[in-house]
Amino acid sequence: MNQKQKYILSLAIILILAGLSIFGLFSRGLGLGLDLKGGLNIVLTAKDGPKTPVNQKTMDQALFIMRNRIDKLGVSEPSIEQHGKRNIILQLPGIRDANKAIKIIGQTALLEFKIVEAKYNSKDTFQMNQALAKKEKVLGPTLMTGEGLSSASAGYDTENPAATSYVVKLDFTSDGADKFADVTSKNINKRLAVVLDGQVMTAPTIKSAITDGSGVIEGISTLEEAKKVALVLQTGQLPFKLGISQQQEVGPTLGKDSLNAAFIAGLVGFALVALFMLAFYRVFGLITWISLAIFTSLLLGSMVLLDYFLQSVGAAGISLSLPSIAGIILMIGVAADSSIIVFERIKEEVREGKGFRSSLDVGFTHGFKTFLDADLVTFITATVLFWLGIGPVRGFALTLMLGIFVDLTVSLLFTRSILKLIAANNWIKNPSLIGLKLKEDAEVV
Amino acid sequence: MSNIDFIGRSRTWLFISIGVFLVAFSALAFKGLNFGIEFTGGNLLTAKTNKPVETSEARSALRPLKLSDSIIQPVGKDSVMIRYGGQKDLDFKDKVVKALSSKYKVVDVQFEQVGPGWGSQITQAALWALAFSMLALLLYISFRFEFKMAVTAIVALIHDMAFTLGVYSLVGRQVTPATIAALLTILGYSLYDTIVVFHKVGENTTKIGKESYGSMVNRSLNQVLVRSLNTSITSILPVVAILVFGGETLKDFAFALAVGMVSGAYSSLIVASPLLVFWKEFEPHYRNLKRKYA
Repeated sequence: MNQKQKYILSLAIILILAGLSIFGLFSRGLGLGLDLKGGLNIVLTAKDGPKTPVNQKTMDQALFIMRNRIDKLGVSEPSIEQHGKRNIILQLPGIRDANKAIKIIGQTALLEFKIVEAKYNSKDTFQMNQALAKKEKVLGPTLMTGEGLSSASAGYDTENPAATSYVVKLDFTSDGADKFADVTSKNINKRLAVVLDGQVMTAPTIKSAITDGSGVIEGISTLEEAKKVALVLQTGQLPFKLGISQQQEVGPTLGKDSLNAAFIAGLVGFALVALFMLAFYRVFGLITWISLAIFTSLLLGSMVLLDYFLQSVGAAGISLSLPSIAGIILMIGVAADSSIIVFERIKEEVREGKGFRSSLDVGFTHGFKTFLDADLVTFITATVLFWLGIGPVRGFALTLMLGIFVDLTVSLLFTRSILKLIAANNWIKNPSLIGLKLKEDAEVV
Repeated sequence: MSNIDFIGRSRTWLFISIGVFLVAFSALAFKGLNFGIEFTGGNLLTAKTNKPVETSEARSALRPLKLSDSIIQPVGKDSVMIRYGGQKDLDFKDKVVKALSSKYKVVDVQFEQVGPGWGSQITQAALWALAFSMLALLLYISFRFEFKMAVTAIVALIHDMAFTLGVYSLVGRQVTPATIAALLTILGYSLYDTIVVFHKVGENTTKIGKESYGSMVNRSLNQVLVRSLNTSITSILPVVAILVFGGETLKDFAFALAVGMVSGAYSSLIVASPLLVFWKEFEPHYRNLKRKYA
């Protein structure tokens, strides 16, 4: 394959990708966030626990834990706020799978380790839970709770490769590990029940003291369930139980007027930028139009793809809210800038008297290096914001990270190819076509 | 190529920047920021009406009350939730109901206090995220370019954020989650712009000839000036469009962006680079060059 065919091929690839993105966008769509579309409004009421009364301190704790769970679920940016003394209002954008989300966010996640009473030793966990429901005394006192846990992760049952079930691996903090070693060494040959929110999850027989600070919950039938258990354990236990006391649909906070206005503003903004680029860069301006159109559709397309992927693994997916739209605006600006850097560099080379074809080559290579650095810096910021940020900040950061990948892809596959292809033509050698002033004509060799 | 003396007048620029910074800082210190209900909590009024409520219609009904900070959200088929700041007295809710009655028949009213949706823990997490991202940037730019560039880039960044917040404080606009989104966007722009300038400086440093570091940086600035201006223009045009056509709720967002972008364009040329020159010319090699050629 010669060079020219290679460039035509990459143009074809990027156009097909853009086409697929537009198709995905229209056939599947992206959910709109709470601020733009509304969603489900759930009022959760806290009930006093035996040791933890509902007060401002425990409410703050609960809100923080629930926030964390929401963030681990995905980036669809639900809102959560305290309401009165013991109510929590949870708003979830989009009502697809809302019930599943409520269950995870509102789950108490009280993890307890208890010894199974001798007369139930021959029963399986299902029978134990049945007996528990009848208020029979199946289990001894709580020997340890989830407080000593440092992390929890879902995985396959590696000890038992033939089994089709999944496990949650538990790691304890050093204090937790000491306690766990103590509990296990004192109860050898008894069964240790791992109890989550009052349900026996698993009850293995202790064969020897466990001193390495790890444990496992076995026998979970699906990976999704294992992930859910790991998630609630990881984010910690809510200080009290929550009950759903109200559930209703709510409308958007920004309203249709804002959305329509934003749409008009977007069109006007795009038209102004397009006119400016055309006036300043002529043919290059035209290339920028096309590259921005491809960029925008690929960015939205990749968000649709990620949303699809997240939802298929049971997470909450992505929804467009004001912060993520801010991210898109920023990235369109950055993408336009990538083009401007390259074009300015090309003009500089031409002004210094280099030939047209080599100017296009050098211009792209040097320009690419420049915005690769600028892109990487933006990427680092976005990664940290995504990693440490909460709620709306993460939606913004995610848009930025996707945008940078798309920007680099469009630059390499589209801008470079089209520049190389037009470099072979004679008509482009007229400097005024790329917005160079005529008095500089003389400098062009 | 233009030939503007950025560096020669760096003292003037520096004084202007420090002056602006001081004004912004004292505004923040003495006047403070006007935080929206998402941060402070406030009142929640739920009104049951005779027909479905449309956000924009309710907003215009409430306009005479100057509830600039209200959040209006339709609930179910025939109710609306209105959240507004906590400083208003209890009688105020009757005024809200009365204003709403001009458009809808209000059947039932519930009134409660609500906590902040964006609590102090989120703000804290966001600040940590910001601090860590600056540390990561410091490391990356030091590794990729040099330590002095990293520090000055971050100074320019802080300049832009402080400037925007200062303007917010001075004009008394509400700080909402949208403002935070705008601030993060400004952070992105400011850095991107500064890195592009430093990239050029780095490239020219390798072939520095018979000239001082300052005049080399000045040349670099002039080389990237057109790009810098054009980028700023292409970024600000859509923001201006939002400011003019974007409707009430988006204007706050656009306002913060516009202020921050102007500041960002200014700071990458006039804060980061002169500061870099000032610092670099303490190095013996560049001090000699300066003595020789300046």
